[in-house]
Amino acid sequence: MGEAPPTGELMPGTLDMLILKTLTRGELHGYGIAQTIQRASDEVLRVEEGALYPALHRLEVRGWLRSSWGTSENNRRAKYYRLTALGRRELEREAAYWHRVASAVTRVMQTA
Amino acid sequence: MKTRHDLISIWRRLIDMTGRRRRAREVDDELAFHLAMRVEERKRTGLTDEQAALAARRQFGNVTALGEQTREMWRFPTMDSLIQDIRYAVRTLVRSPGFSVVTILVLAIGIGANTAMFSLVDAMLLRGLPYPDANSLVVLIGNVQRAVVERRGNSYLDHLDWRARSTRFVDMAAYSTTTMTLMGFDEPERIPIETVSAPYFAVLGVSPAYGRTFKPEEDQVPNRDMVVILSDALWRRRFDADPSILNHTIQSSARTYTVVGIMPPGFTGVSDTAQLWIPFALSGTAFDNRGNRGFQTIARLKPDAKIDQARAELDVISKQLERQYPDTNEKRAVEVSPLSVETYGQLKPVVLTLMAAVSFVLLIACSNVANLLLGRSEARQREIAVRSALGAGQSRLFRQLVTESCVLTLAGAAAGVAFAQVAVKTLTAASPVTFPSFVQPGINVVVLAFTIAVALVCGLLLGLAPAMHTRSEKLGDALKETARGSTSARSNRVRAALVIAEVALAIVLLVGAGLMIRSVQKLTAVDTGFNPQALLTLDVSVPRQPAPTTGSSPAGGATVAPAGGQAAPAPPPPPFVVSSAVILERVRAVPGVTSASLASDVPLDGNTSAVFYSAEGDSTSGAQTMPRAYVHRVTPEFFDTLGIPMKAGRTFNESEARPDGTAVIVSENVARRFWLNQDPIGKRLKFGAVTSQNPWLTIVGVVGEVKYRGLPSNPTGDPDLYFPALDRAVQGLLIRTSVDPASVTSAVRAAIRAAHPSIVVFNVSTMADLVKAQTSASTFTTWLLGLFATTALVLSVIGIYGVMSYLVAQRTREFGIRLALGATRREIVAVVLRHGGRLILIGAVIGIAGSLGLSKVLGGLLYGVTPADSASALAILILVTVAILACLVPAFRATRVDPVDVLR
Repeated sequence: MGEAPPTGELMPGTLDMLILKTLTRGELHGYGIAQTIQRASDEVLRVEEGALYPALHRLEVRGWLRSSWGTSENNRRAKYYRLTALGRRELEREAAYWHRVASAVTRVMQTA
Repeated sequence: MKTRHDLISIWRRLIDMTGRRRRAREVDDELAFHLAMRVEERKRTGLTDEQAALAARRQFGNVTALGEQTREMWRFPTMDSLIQDIRYAVRTLVRSPGFSVVTILVLAIGIGANTAMFSLVDAMLLRGLPYPDANSLVVLIGNVQRAVVERRGNSYLDHLDWRARSTRFVDMAAYSTTTMTLMGFDEPERIPIETVSAPYFAVLGVSPAYGRTFKPEEDQVPNRDMVVILSDALWRRRFDADPSILNHTIQSSARTYTVVGIMPPGFTGVSDTAQLWIPFALSGTAFDNRGNRGFQTIARLKPDAKIDQARAELDVISKQLERQYPDTNEKRAVEVSPLSVETYGQLKPVVLTLMAAVSFVLLIACSNVANLLLGRSEARQREIAVRSALGAGQSRLFRQLVTESCVLTLAGAAAGVAFAQVAVKTLTAASPVTFPSFVQPGINVVVLAFTIAVALVCGLLLGLAPAMHTRSEKLGDALKETARGSTSARSNRVRAALVIAEVALAIVLLVGAGLMIRSVQKLTAVDTGFNPQALLTLDVSVPRQPAPTTGSSPAGGATVAPAGGQAAPAPPPPPFVVSSAVILERVRAVPGVTSASLASDVPLDGNTSAVFYSAEGDSTSGAQTMPRAYVHRVTPEFFDTLGIPMKAGRTFNESEARPDGTAVIVSENVARRFWLNQDPIGKRLKFGAVTSQNPWLTIVGVVGEVKYRGLPSNPTGDPDLYFPALDRAVQGLLIRTSVDPASVTSAVRAAIRAAHPSIVVFNVSTMADLVKAQTSASTFTTWLLGLFATTALVLSVIGIYGVMSYLVAQRTREFGIRLALGATRREIVAVVLRHGGRLILIGAVIGIAGSLGLSKVLGGLLYGVTPADSASALAILILVTVAILACLVPAFRATRVDPVDVLR
């Protein structure tokens, strides 16, 4: 064992959107966000820690996330993130753009 | 939206800067939590603790690096790369210490001199006068329209009318300066004071530290309230800073005053010398005579009033007064002058001129440094090419170069500030110009901000030169080591421009300094009309004998006596404690004194007053050209003591020294005006109009014109009238010595004290110093401008030499070929000189044009010189010669090129 399962490579720029989307359901810590994305994508998308944490902090700096320290399910101290109003608006913007691009790509793939 | 996010980001990063440590710990904790969760996840799949930890860690990668990356999100990307750039720049500079030290020194001189001058500009012009809202303070000065408008002074009745009729002022107050002899101490002391009307302190916006200021009823004429306000300095010096002096009395030689207030530290009145204040009603001004003018008025404009509106309004009032009182107010008007102009008048253009001059020195220093940087950047072409080949963008490289030059200029600025600190102290201590007491130049936040701004601007400009040059380079050429000659065309153009600029700037400064030196020479050569050498001057104040009704003797009385005892007014003044003749006799007996005389006022002490007069038989003078002259009372030896030539007639004899005497001695211009080609002796004058009741005065002598009131020219061309001296409270004493005049000072003081212990001696000075003080602003400017010009000359010559040497070195191969093809050494020298000479010539032409502008700015400081003076020609000649010499050295080096070496 020990070998990491094959990971779905994230398209550049989509990680921010996925994080924002995940947090619409409520506040979560970094580990929880990674797990949720993995589970919601039926294990297709794997979020690398090396990308996740810089992204979380970048979003926080931009004011799209807020963070606070809390206690996790197993009684550990964990940092929880939640969406701000600004973040919600950003998510709408990015989601709209994503849908446009994704459907365009799909159309191209079907006609070709 | 975008900018809003940017603002939020910047804000959050700024906030974060205060808690970097905490942020680092939090990121570590956060990652540790994630790692722990992963370990648990692995354990659930059946791994041991150890295996799970290992697997999780392997998956996680480098935790430290990730933490670093995460924290990175909170930093300013440019800030960090800036720190990197600075580190790199410092390393580069440390690697070539010789270059760095020279450039930093050159910059330190330039920036330091600018900092020093700016601290003076800051202290005088930026910080302004030490009063609240000082910009609305103006001085009202009565003037008269004669051939030109001449300042005179205000009469009390005019002052009252201005105050009552004008609407543009918050208030106005009369003030004049005088002196008072303070009694009650071991030795009576003469102190400068101001007599001021009640609103004076409120107009200036200054409140007393203790007690009160004057009340309106204390302005009533005649004044019955003998009240006084002390300055903080006098209060500390004489009354041990004891607040209980309030409501007690102090004693002057004439009166007893009750102390009603003490002013805060540093306040010395508009005159900047006052040690105490008494009501204007006690000033002895002619309160009922509109034609008697002397004092000035300080006024505060209303917040919404413009100075021009105030001028217009006072013009209207002056016209009304002229109609109402034609006898006294014909052609009379009021000048409204900002207090700052009155305070700094002569100094402001001086300081601004010097500021401009010193910025030229900095520009020359920068040109030199730019040249050095250019040379270095050429040597660093390979390094720069490698960096850009490795992916450094154009802007990143530019930023690096600018950072490097900014590090240099900031280091120069740091050294410069240290240099300026010393320079400012030396400057103000050694300055022949007396600055107002509240002008205290020093290095403060504003000055530092200025210095840093100057350093950064210089750094940016200096970075531009090599950066521009770098851009033009082709990367590939630079990487090939041999590529040279062809790539330097652009940087050579920059070099040529630097030489031209240095020559032009240095010429402006040299011409300016040359003109100033010439005009100071002329100023000091001005014939004063008397011999100022070996002449000591001082004022003596002789008290009157105590009136019989006053009980206490001034010397024995207590310093502080309870108020209540009113000084009784004594109608006929009691005689003086000692006659002038006795004082003169004592002084003449002092060894080293060859001659001594008394005068009502001393030349150049600024205490003269003028009268109108008429000459018998004169029909040419109208109301506007009515003759006016300055009046002095002198003892018979006066002309001999001062060395004023007696042109005709004789000096006074003892019998003429009577209050009703009619003998007068006139200066030459009186005789020339009315009795040209006639013998003036025996001709008659009178004060006022010919029709007046004043007695006729008979001319007994004619003496040479004297610069009695100011150098280089008496402010007005009016002549002088001399009358025999009479005993008076304050007299000027003029002492001609056979030794250094300053050396007899203490012996003279002792002799006067021996005549009577209560005589006060003050304003002791040599006449040579009084003459020097007249030209101090010009001397000061000359000093500094000379210093700056010399610095500029040296720096620009070094710069020209550097550039020419470089250009010659670049053409070594060419010269070698020319020599091999048969060119003579003389032709090679000519080639180099033609090249350098052309640049110098262009610079000289620009410089000459610039110096015309400078001489216009210097205008008022220049005396008897025009820009076309031979001093300018000499200055240009010096610079051009030295510049050509700087080209000659590399030119001769070019001739020593061995063609064989070069061609091989």
